[in-house]
Amino acid sequence: MLRGLLRHNETYLVLLILALCAGITLANPAFLTFENVAGFLKSCSMVGIMAVGALFVLVLAGSPDVSFTAIAQVVEYAIAIATLRWGGNIYVAILAAASMGVLMGLVNGVIIHSFRVPTIIVTIATFNIYFGMLYVITAGKLINVVHPMFREFGHALLFPQTSKIGGTYGLSLMPLVWLAVVVVAWFILRRTFLGRSVFAIGGNEIAAERMGVNTLRTRLFVFGFVGLLSGVAAVVHLSIVQSVVPNIIVGKELEVIAAVVLGGASVFGGKGTLTGTVLGVLLFAILNNGLTLLDFSSYWYNVAIGVVITVAITNSAYQQLRREKARVHVKVEAR
Amino acid sequence: MRIPLVLRRPSASRTLAVVLVAIVLFMSALNPQRFPTLGNLISMSYQLPIVAFLSLGMMVTMLSGGINLGIIATANFTGIVTVLVLRALAGEAADEAGVGVALLAMGGGLAAALGIGAITGWLIAYVEVPAILATLAMMTLLNGVNLVITKGYTLSGFPEFLLGVGNGMAWGVPIPFLILIAVVALLAILLKRTRTGLSLFLLGSNPIAARFSNVPVRAVLVRDYLLSSGFAALTAFIMMGQLNSVKANYAESYLLVSVLACFLGGVDPFGGAGSLSGMVLAVVILQVVSTGVNLLRMDPFFIQAMWGFIILVLIAATFLGGRLQERRRLRAARAAQQGAERPSGDARAAVE
Repeated sequence: MLRGLLRHNETYLVLLILALCAGITLANPAFLTFENVAGFLKSCSMVGIMAVGALFVLVLAGSPDVSFTAIAQVVEYAIAIATLRWGGNIYVAILAAASMGVLMGLVNGVIIHSFRVPTIIVTIATFNIYFGMLYVITAGKLINVVHPMFREFGHALLFPQTSKIGGTYGLSLMPLVWLAVVVVAWFILRRTFLGRSVFAIGGNEIAAERMGVNTLRTRLFVFGFVGLLSGVAAVVHLSIVQSVVPNIIVGKELEVIAAVVLGGASVFGGKGTLTGTVLGVLLFAILNNGLTLLDFSSYWYNVAIGVVITVAITNSAYQQLRREKARVHVKVEAR
Repeated sequence: MRIPLVLRRPSASRTLAVVLVAIVLFMSALNPQRFPTLGNLISMSYQLPIVAFLSLGMMVTMLSGGINLGIIATANFTGIVTVLVLRALAGEAADEAGVGVALLAMGGGLAAALGIGAITGWLIAYVEVPAILATLAMMTLLNGVNLVITKGYTLSGFPEFLLGVGNGMAWGVPIPFLILIAVVALLAILLKRTRTGLSLFLLGSNPIAARFSNVPVRAVLVRDYLLSSGFAALTAFIMMGQLNSVKANYAESYLLVSVLACFLGGVDPFGGAGSLSGMVLAVVILQVVSTGVNLLRMDPFFIQAMWGFIILVLIAATFLGGRLQERRRLRAARAAQQGAERPSGDARAAVE
């Protein structure tokens, strides 16, 4: 059973996270408090939601989508302005953001399917278009005042407590949105034919097609879903920061993809788990939070992430290499 | 009679050359006072080498089926190490240091870049980490290291010689442009006339076949990433001359531009195919377009969006062109088959 566990990438991640948590807690006991954990769960929920979408694309295409941050950025701006002008409530806002995201994601899907080009190239193009046009239209103006409903949504707390210095803290709704997204994604990926199709196409598209998988529909679904998650992530982000800086989300795409890859998703497609993805996001969040608690300057964050990614991918590639060598060995003996 | 290969195959480079001429004419017509001038030509040949070296550094990795996402980070790292060595050697008077010290500092920067290239190459060739991951990790790591070293500040104050590399002029031609010409010539020889260059193409089109053809796959891969990092270092020296400073995150937007240049130049992102002439034309096209649009005082973000549109149009054009060709080939094959089966009159009757 132990050997079975050791074969899973997730096991290493859990061990790494536990070691990290133990180390940080020893250095600063404030780490393992409800207040702190709730805080960093809230701050990483946007990345967590987007990571689920990035996982879907990586499994399907074996080539990352890089446009989802631009989609989220555009949606965030549009939603902030639209709610200021027309009001509404948070449910309408989420619905509108999600639909807008779906439309923008579908553009990727349609182009990729009809022209048979690598996802990364198409999404680089759409990234530039979405982000460039956002700046052209808005002139890069910040939005400092947003509709109060985002504040209500972002500040709503479960299990509210009063801290020593008089502030209140508790579990924000944002991680719950993330959790809901993960559950829905898990259901789709593991319990529906659609999810099976995503893995099948990622493993071998021609074989999947012959098996009767509708590649067009699956592809459109995945890119639409990524767009939807970008829209939801945009609302979550807007509710947390309550202002729009038009280049704040853009630039996070590689970090999100790195978290997904750290979670064990294959860059060749057809392989990846939601557990791994969530763990990858958590690991980054814990690293970030830990560095802050240990009084490191924020400059070290990228170094730490870089080291972790390097070690993780080297380890998983090395494991793969050993497994392959072992397989060859068996074959030789059998002869 | 043998028809030369260049004429037999519809070459991508020829299409690119036509596109280039068209764009130059178009830009000149839009802006006759400022675009077709000697001054503009010179300023373009100052800017061109930066994009060109980054794109070539990207191209050599794509030929082997890889990618180098860390190329910009490596360039910035090179610049920063160069400044560190310079300050260590010359202290406060770094901007008055002699040629020897400047060369030593650049040597230090180059060594740092090659070190990064060696590590990346080792990870990809020996540990068999997928290139996109290894370089993504290297990029994140280097971006962090760059920030930690510089603390986000801009470092400046370079000796005359170092500035001259990026900013000087010789015989009326910008020095970086001369360097570019020399490097492209060397790269052409490397790719077409050396064992390493040919192995690179072999490796990119079929790594397993390459291994069984006795190509030292791993050594070639390491050399490939060393070369790519060398291009990053060259970029760094030229940028230092032109910007008179180094920073942790200069030129980050060029990462996508260099991928775009490879795509435009006809390099197969899965490896094994791509021509240097196509790349050079692609880079020149990118430069002409961006200068032309800049001279029209357009919004830089509009230009960014335009790059996106250009990629999409290219994707569509490549796809439709390929399909057209296939259909033509199919029709020719069918006609040949029918011609072989029956006399031609019957074939026409059958079609009718």
